[in-house]
This record gives sequence, structure tokens and C-alpha cells, in this order.
Amino acid sequence: MVELRGVSVRFDATTVLAGVDLSVPRGARLGIIGPAAAGKSVLVKLVAGLVAPAAGRVLIDGVDVTGLSEERLAPVRARIGMLFQNYALYDFLTVEGNVGFPLVRRGEAAEVVAARVADRLRAVGLAGSEGKLPSQLSGGMKKRVGIARATIAAPELVLYDEPTAGLDPVTTSKMYDLLRADHDRSGATAIAVSSDVAALCGFVDRVVFVYQGRAHYQGPAAGLADADDPVVRQFVRGALDGPLVG
Amino acid sequence: MIGERTITQVGARALAVSREIGGITILFGQILRALLPPRLDGRELIKNLHKMGNRSVPIVALTAFFAGGLMVVQSAPFVQRFEATSLAGWAAGYAVLREIGPILIALMFSGRVGANNTAELGTMTVTEQLDGLRALAIDPIQYLIVPRVLAMMVMLVCLTVIGDLVALLGAAAVAKAVLGIEWGIMYASFTENLTPQDFLHGVYKSCAFGLSIAVTSCYFGVTVRGGAVGVGRAVNAAVVAAAVSVMLLDFFLTYLDV
Amino acid sequence: MTAVRTWLLARVTRVGAGTIAAVVAARDLWLVLVGTIAGIWRQYGRRGAPRPTDDLVEQLHVIGNRSLLFVAVTLGFIGMVMIYQACLQFSRSIGDLSQVGPQFVRLIVSDFGPTLTAMMLATRVGAGIAAEIGSMKVTEQVDALRLSGVLPVDYLLVPRFLASLVMTIVLSVIGSAIMYGAGAVTAYLSFGVNPRLFVDLGFVEPRHVILGLLKAAAYGAAIPVVAGSCGLRARGSSEGVGWATTAAVVGSSFAVIAIDFALSVGALWLLGGDL
Repeated sequence: MVELRGVSVRFDATTVLAGVDLSVPRGARLGIIGPAAAGKSVLVKLVAGLVAPAAGRVLIDGVDVTGLSEERLAPVRARIGMLFQNYALYDFLTVEGNVGFPLVRRGEAAEVVAARVADRLRAVGLAGSEGKLPSQLSGGMKKRVGIARATIAAPELVLYDEPTAGLDPVTTSKMYDLLRADHDRSGATAIAVSSDVAALCGFVDRVVFVYQGRAHYQGPAAGLADADDPVVRQFVRGALDGPLVG
Repeated sequence: MIGERTITQVGARALAVSREIGGITILFGQILRALLPPRLDGRELIKNLHKMGNRSVPIVALTAFFAGGLMVVQSAPFVQRFEATSLAGWAAGYAVLREIGPILIALMFSGRVGANNTAELGTMTVTEQLDGLRALAIDPIQYLIVPRVLAMMVMLVCLTVIGDLVALLGAAAVAKAVLGIEWGIMYASFTENLTPQDFLHGVYKSCAFGLSIAVTSCYFGVTVRGGAVGVGRAVNAAVVAAAVSVMLLDFFLTYLDV
Repeated sequence: MTAVRTWLLARVTRVGAGTIAAVVAARDLWLVLVGTIAGIWRQYGRRGAPRPTDDLVEQLHVIGNRSLLFVAVTLGFIGMVMIYQACLQFSRSIGDLSQVGPQFVRLIVSDFGPTLTAMMLATRVGAGIAAEIGSMKVTEQVDALRLSGVLPVDYLLVPRFLASLVMTIVLSVIGSAIMYGAGAVTAYLSFGVNPRLFVDLGFVEPRHVILGLLKAAAYGAAIPVVAGSCGLRARGSSEGVGWATTAAVVGSSFAVIAIDFALSVGALWLLGGDL
């Protein structure tokens, strides 16, 4: 479904990603983990075409989408849903307007949109909040609205950027239960970014560990603790001494 | 018919404006009290003087140059019609020194320095840095705000003096380029028709403009709420309030000093 | 020797960095302008294209109606001050105040009215647009729009551009009238100038009105383009939004002055003493 071939990303003088290869088959669930500012968010934005690579290729379903114009990217993005790190809820729209936005832009009829929105809000446990504005919601509620919006157009690929950052452990478990149920039903491919390794591993089957713009580990989630790479081992165990800096 | 809703809105707006004016007045009082006895963080003051003054010279000079030129262009039709080249410097110089120069420079200063100050203090407020200072028993007004207010006042006066000179230069340059008036004639026109009072009138107003821009920008900075969105809104409110206060002060000060 | 070289090198580096930043900013500005015009064509030029009428109406309200009081207060006061200064100078030198009003209205129509209104709008509207779009940029709302197949320039800038274009012209007319009225009151109260003598539109020719409206339209187009491109360049968090808003106020105010200068010189060059 998604393939990255040797992608590098640079902002001004700083290299954010340096030659990352990645392949996610259809229906798989991939976790991207690593310390702060390792380039995890950039990696998912790259897949959605929101960041352009300085080198390398991005392929979606075997089609090269690197450097396509915004218009040409639109049909590709129509199959992708994304939960943003800062929720990215439109603060001038209500919850209903936010969740329904992707469908409205596609010209769906108002009744269809309303029915889908009600259905999605029920799935994330926010039925009845249609009329609220994002500023009236708590962080966890905003995340769930974001998830409802990301999945409303039945995307084949859903990207989750920090779905549980800032949430308490109970809400975190609930969130992953929600995601798991959702993907079991839809069969959509998922890529989730998180620095909370233990919770994330309950949802994804494979993980990539990113550090200083490079992928240090790629493989099954279960094998993470026994990885050979010292950086990965130190991060997973939360040890104080090791090669990890910053 | 004026509905109930409109009246409620007008009332709410009036209350909000009153609250802001009250808040600004209280902050002004706190600043005055912090100056008695005068205890100043010299390093913070010098840093702010440099940041607010030196770095604003290019934009102020550019604005002033255009403003001086514009006044010549506006008076050009008379000058050409009546061939009154000796009056070109009078009209442009008078308008620039007394009104256009101080006001445009103050507006630019409010945009460049006042807005930046609000954004900086606002960011410090939303990231709880002000509370951090209080936790260390450092008075944020004395440590952060007083040096900024002093620096803005001093620097706006300095920038107005520089700007006035550049504006007269701009007037002379445009007069030469557009109307073909020689530099010497413009110089004579300036020296014969303009008095030191014209220059001082503008400078004395700029002192008050600097104070009002400083206090409003600090007030909107320290009262920010609500993250990035709040900072944007505060900067917007600060520049609007500064523009209104500059215009109001200009009016009253013009009447006071004749 | 080495000290001089280091100093020189630092200077050259700073000038170079400044130049590059200016070129990047100019390119962004150009792209936003072209994108906005193309966006207007995409939304209004083709038949059957989606037209966000609600957004346009809302922006007309936000940019126009909500700025009315601000423009009225500021232009009223500056009108009073300008007339006061002008009368003062005329009474000292010539002694005849009958010409102040008729000449002043010519200047208001062709320059002061639209330009000072636009300076005020650059502050209020420019900062508002940059704060709004900048906040949307740093909270990833702009990315979310792109992901839904919406061009941010079309969705965010086109309604603001059209609203600003219309409302700057409207507010310039209102602001000019208020400025002139306030001036007439001042001349009467402080210098005893008969309002009948003061309100005399004899010197105002159609070319002055056209020049004034042309300036207002140019300002109205420039403010949202400058402010929008600053907003879209915001990065980081609250510092980014603060930077964008500051840059928008300075940039759009300066754009107003530069446009005024260019159009005034152009008109003078075309019409000469007849202006």
C-alpha cells in the first residue's frame, strides 16, 4: 500500500529524515516510535503528501506520488485519512461541520453527510456533541473528533499522529481499543506515531524505530525489547545511560 | 428597529473596552510604582534598546523617505501651476515634521516593535514563564515590563528624529527627481520656512506615542489566554489599540501645544 | 586585520541572508497573489463551480462592518488635527482661510482619505488575517484542508481578498467623508471658518476621484495578499503566530505607503500640473 524508497527531508539547513526505506502492505498496522523530534511526524506527513522529500520516492499502491501538484494529489489523498498531532480541528466549524468536512467537499448530499457523521460520532462515543465548537472540548474529546473526521470517508489508509499524547492511561487504553475495533471492521491500513511504546504495541503488529532521521529497527512489535541496536534497547527500557542523546 | 440583541452587543463591547482601558491604566500605575525608587535592570534595558531601536532603523528610514517624498508629490500640482518652487519645501516640511512623520513612524513602530513585544510577552505568558519568574520572587513588571517601556519611549523619540531627517531628505530627493527643484532651493525653503518649534512639536508627541504603544503592547501581551490562537488575537488587539491611542493623543497634544 | 575581516565577513553574511530572505518573501508574495487570482477564477469564473457565498458574506462583515468604528474614530481625529495644523499655518502666513477647505478636500479625495483608511486597515485587517491563518497553519488546520483536497489559498484567501477589495473601497469613501466633516467642524470651532466656505467641492475633478478609488482598490488587494502570505509562512507555535502577525502589520503598512508613492508619482507624471 505505502512504500518509501530512500526518502530524505530537509528543513532549511537541518536534516529531518536521512534515507528512510519503509514498506507497509495493505491491511497492515505499522507503528512509528522514537524519541521527540526524531522525524516521526514528518514521516507520516510525507505519506500524505503534506511534506515533499528532498530525495527519494513515495509510492502509494505502486504509483509514484513524489512531487505531484496539489490537484493531482487530491485523488490519492481522498483515500487517506489522518489524525493530526494538534487535532487540527477547524475552530470556526462545529463538531458536526468538522467531522463532515471531507464528505461535504466531495459534494455528498446533506442527509448522507449527517447520517455518516452521527454514525461516526457514535462510534467514537461522542454522540450528541454535534453542535459544540472545538474550543468547548477537552483534549481527549478533540482527539476522538479528529479520529471521526479521519475515518468518515472510509479511507483505505489512516495515519495517526500521536493518537494518545497527553491522555491518561485509562483513556489511552480506550483509544487503542477504539482504533483496534475500527480497523478490525474496516480492514484499512494504519500507520500510527507514538512515543508511548507499550500502549502502541497493543494496536500495531509491526514497528519502526526512528532516531535522528534514520530507521534503527524495523520488525514485529514483540521483537522490539530484544533488538540488537543499542539505541532501541535503551529507549524501550527507559535506561539513563546509553547512546541516546537529547 | 434596534433589537435587544444589538443593544446587548453594544453593551458587551463597551464593557470590554472599559475593562481594557482600566487594565491598561492599572498596568501604567504599576509601572510608575516600580520606578519608585528607580531600580533598573541595566542589561535588560540595553538589550531592549538595541533590539527595539537599532533593528527598526531600516524600516523607519524607508517609511520616512517615502512619506517625505509623498508630501512633495501632493504639493506638486500647486508648485507646478504657480511655479512656486520656494514653497515646495515649506508645505512638505511642515506636514512631515508636525504630523505625517511622527504618526507614520509611530504606526510603523507599533507594527514592528509593539506587535513583536506583545507576541513575545504573550508567548512567555502562555508558556507560563511569567509564573516562573514570580516563583523566583522576581517581579515581572520590574524585570520585564519597565525596561521595555523605557526602551520603547526612548527609541521612538530617537527614531522620529532620524525619521524626520530622512523624510526631509526624501522630500528633497523627490523634488529633484519629479519636479526638477535643485537641492539648494529645497534646503533654503526648509531653513526659511520651518522653525525649531515645528520639529519639537513632532518630537514631543512621539514621546507620548512611544509611552502609549509600550503600555498597550505590554498589557495585551501579559493578558494573553489560549495558546497560539490567543497570541495572534492579542497582537491584533494591541496594534489596533495602539493606533487608536496614537490618533487620540495626537489630537489632544496638538491642542495643548501651539 | 583579522578583526576587520571577521567583521566584514559577518556583515556580508548578514546582508546576504537578508537578501535571500527578501527574495523568498517576494516569491511567496507573488505565488500567493497568482494563487488568489487563479482561485477567484476557479470559484467564480467557471459556471457550476462551488461558490462559498457564506464565507464571503462573513468576511465582508468581519473586514468591513467590524472595522467601521475603528476607521471612523481614527480618521475623524486625524481629520481634525490636520485641519487644525493647516489653518494654523495658513493664518500665520497668508491669513486667508477660505481656501483651506476646498484644497483640503482635493487632497482627501485623491490621497489622504484612502491612504489613511488603508493604513488603519493594514493594522486591523492585516493583523487579523495573519493571526487567523497563522494559527490555522501552526495547529495543522491548513494541512488538514490540503488533505481534504482543498487548496488553502482558495478556501482561506479568496473570500478575504474579495471582501477586503470591496470593503477598503467602501470604508475609504466613508473615512474620507468623516475626515472632511471633522475638519469642517474643527475649522468652524477653532478658527471660525464658515462651513459654507469650507465645504466646497469646486476643486474636486473626476480624475481625483478615480485616482482615490484606484488607490483604495490597490490597497484592498495588497493587504490580504501580504497578510495571507505571512500567515501561511508561520511555523512553530505561538512564536510563529506572533511573528506572522507582526510581519503582516509591518508588511501591509509598508505596502500601502509604497503603493501610494508609486500611484501618486505615476499620476503626477501623467497629468502634471493639472492633477
